[in-house]
Amino acid sequence: MKTILVVDDEQNIRFLYKEELEEDGYKVSLAATGAEALKMLNKQIPDLIILDIKMPGMDGIEVMRKIKDEKGDIPIILCSAYGQYKQDFRVWASDAYVVKSADLRELKLTIKEIFNQLKAG
Amino acid sequence: MTESSLSLEILQEVTRIANSTLDLDETLEKIIQVIKNKMHIDACAIYLINESDGLLHLKASMGLPEKAMHINLAIGQGVTGWVAQKGTSLALSEAMQDPRFIYFPEIEEEKFSSMLSVPILADCPPLGVINVHSIERRVFSLEETSVLETIASQVTGCLKNAIQFHQNQMTLKETRILYDISLAVQSTLKLEHGLWIILSAITMGEAGGFNRAMLFTLDEKNRQLQGIMGLGPDSHEDAVRIWTELDKKKGDLLKWAIKEAQHDLHRDSPFHNFVSGLKYTVTPNDNILSETVLQKKPFNITKAKEHPLVSQEFIDALGVDSFATVPLIAHEEVLGVILVDNRYDQKPITEENLRFLTRFTVYASWVIENSRLFSKLLDTNRELLSMKEQLVQAERLSALGEMAAEVAHEIKNPLVSIGGFARRLKDKMTNLAQKWEDNDDLKSAANYSGIISSEVERLERLLKNTLIYSKSGTLETEECQLNKLIEEVLYLFKAGLYEKNINLVTGLEADIPLLNLDQQKIKQVLINLFYNALESLSIGGLLRVETFQEEYAQKQKMVTVRVEDTGGGIPQEVFENIFNPFFTTKHTGTGLGLSICRKIIENHGGTIRVENQLGKGVTVYLHLPLQNSPDYYKN
Repeated sequence: MKTILVVDDEQNIRFLYKEELEEDGYKVSLAATGAEALKMLNKQIPDLIILDIKMPGMDGIEVMRKIKDEKGDIPIILCSAYGQYKQDFRVWASDAYVVKSADLRELKLTIKEIFNQLKAG
Repeated sequence: MTESSLSLEILQEVTRIANSTLDLDETLEKIIQVIKNKMHIDACAIYLINESDGLLHLKASMGLPEKAMHINLAIGQGVTGWVAQKGTSLALSEAMQDPRFIYFPEIEEEKFSSMLSVPILADCPPLGVINVHSIERRVFSLEETSVLETIASQVTGCLKNAIQFHQNQMTLKETRILYDISLAVQSTLKLEHGLWIILSAITMGEAGGFNRAMLFTLDEKNRQLQGIMGLGPDSHEDAVRIWTELDKKKGDLLKWAIKEAQHDLHRDSPFHNFVSGLKYTVTPNDNILSETVLQKKPFNITKAKEHPLVSQEFIDALGVDSFATVPLIAHEEVLGVILVDNRYDQKPITEENLRFLTRFTVYASWVIENSRLFSKLLDTNRELLSMKEQLVQAERLSALGEMAAEVAHEIKNPLVSIGGFARRLKDKMTNLAQKWEDNDDLKSAANYSGIISSEVERLERLLKNTLIYSKSGTLETEECQLNKLIEEVLYLFKAGLYEKNINLVTGLEADIPLLNLDQQKIKQVLINLFYNALESLSIGGLLRVETFQEEYAQKQKMVTVRVEDTGGGIPQEVFENIFNPFFTTKHTGTGLGLSICRKIIENHGGTIRVENQLGKGVTVYLHLPLQNSPDYYKN
């Protein structure tokens, strides 16, 4: 079973993602802050990380840099409420970038694509 | 009286003269008195050789008409010239009968029958000649000749002193004129006024006394000499009028010129307009003005018609056969050329004239250089101000958009939850309704959830369409060298850095690839950063500007601009708000401008980071991407 770590400061969104993704057959763990996420990574490396960009304290981009620098190339999907980070080159270091929506189909499709690519590669 | 006692007496008298005055004219007058007393003659004249033209000038006389004072003789010309040339005395009882004699009506020599002429021998050539004339026919005895020769030899010393003193006086005067001019020139920063003062001095007798002066400036880029000012009379009549006027103002010419400079009267002169229309390309072996620029030395052209670098056209335009050109040089760079001539009095241009002019042009060069620097300073100040103004303007405009975006962001997250759970609710209700054999209540509840979810979708679309993150203007990017851009902007701050005693250290990495940038906008960012640094460095310090290439998260290549100052850092409460447009704009009216900088950098796909070390300084990092966005971001 593929494991996914969801990092978002909004409790309800974490809950929503967990419900939806578990329904699709993934094992989901949750972190409310970047620091918490990094701590969790010390114990276990998930197959994919979904990272919210705008979070208090360490933002998602910074968390991503730390992960990529320290933990190696774990696939990361960055999320934000709007598309404003699309042009930030730092975001380009992620494996995908999805604008948050109540409609989770795009996010799910992106997850599938990444796992398919990993399988192919 | 014996010859030796006479010569002793003369020596005493001469010593008395030498002790009483150093003034040349006065010395000469007194010598003439001595001669008159000793020799009982009707007229006496002392000619001295002028150093600059080598002619014998009548410097003092007694018993000769006033108009005789203008007489100049070449060595070898006439009796006087002959004596000067041979260095031997000549006594003539029938002067006018002598073949060497040349008649000058100014001296009214027909009055006199006999003359005695002795050289004033110092070294070779002689200093001059003393002539005595007698109306009655008289044979000057050997003894008398010997007396005059004694006088001549005795006065040599005090004459030499007086001449030396006179020369010193002239040098002093020249120095004073140069000093006055430099003061005058410093008093105005308007190029035109400064140049007018310079050209006035060149054409006003006092400092050169040329009839006309023309000024050309060199356009370094196009290698062209452009006439920009001409000063001088437009015709003979005009020349006479001007000289008469100048004569009346004697003594205060310079003050007059400085005052006159304000009126811009020269602009109406046809000569000025003629000069303004002249333009020459600087090419080797083409024309004399070009040669002056290329060889960086003055030219004194005496036979223009025969000169290979002077065209007939040029001669016709100037209307002279002799002129001189002098380059204007500042910091070893030729700025232009001054051309002078004596069209109206046809006086030859002596080497002395030219030397003085050359010294003088140093001032003209300063004027041009100062004015250039000053106008550059004005331009850069203006540019800085307008850029700063634009930045403030943009910042204020974007503040509103920023706030809207902020609010929208706060709305978006709950919307995602509401919509997300409404969708889930709808799905669950639909499933349940089926399980419970199409329970109507459950069907309705599923329907209501569907309404919530579709309304949320509508809101999401609305937010997306109205707030696709308000971009602050579109970028006009082109490939450019970041380092060059930084150097250009730093150049604008040159004066400010110097003024505040700020030590600028740059470490711009060579081989930084070309970046796609909106140069104008990136310039604004840099200006803003340097401005902030300068403001914090009010008592001097260090400003370090570096560029280097880096990797980001092991994946992205980027270029970083690092701007570090030692201005003590920003107070924590200010630092927390540096990217907040509201805070900064209401704080000082201009703010730090960092929020707009961030927007510009972000529009370039880059990011800005600020490190604040209280008590030390601020370091700003601009990270700009070196690669294009990955494919999945293209849409």
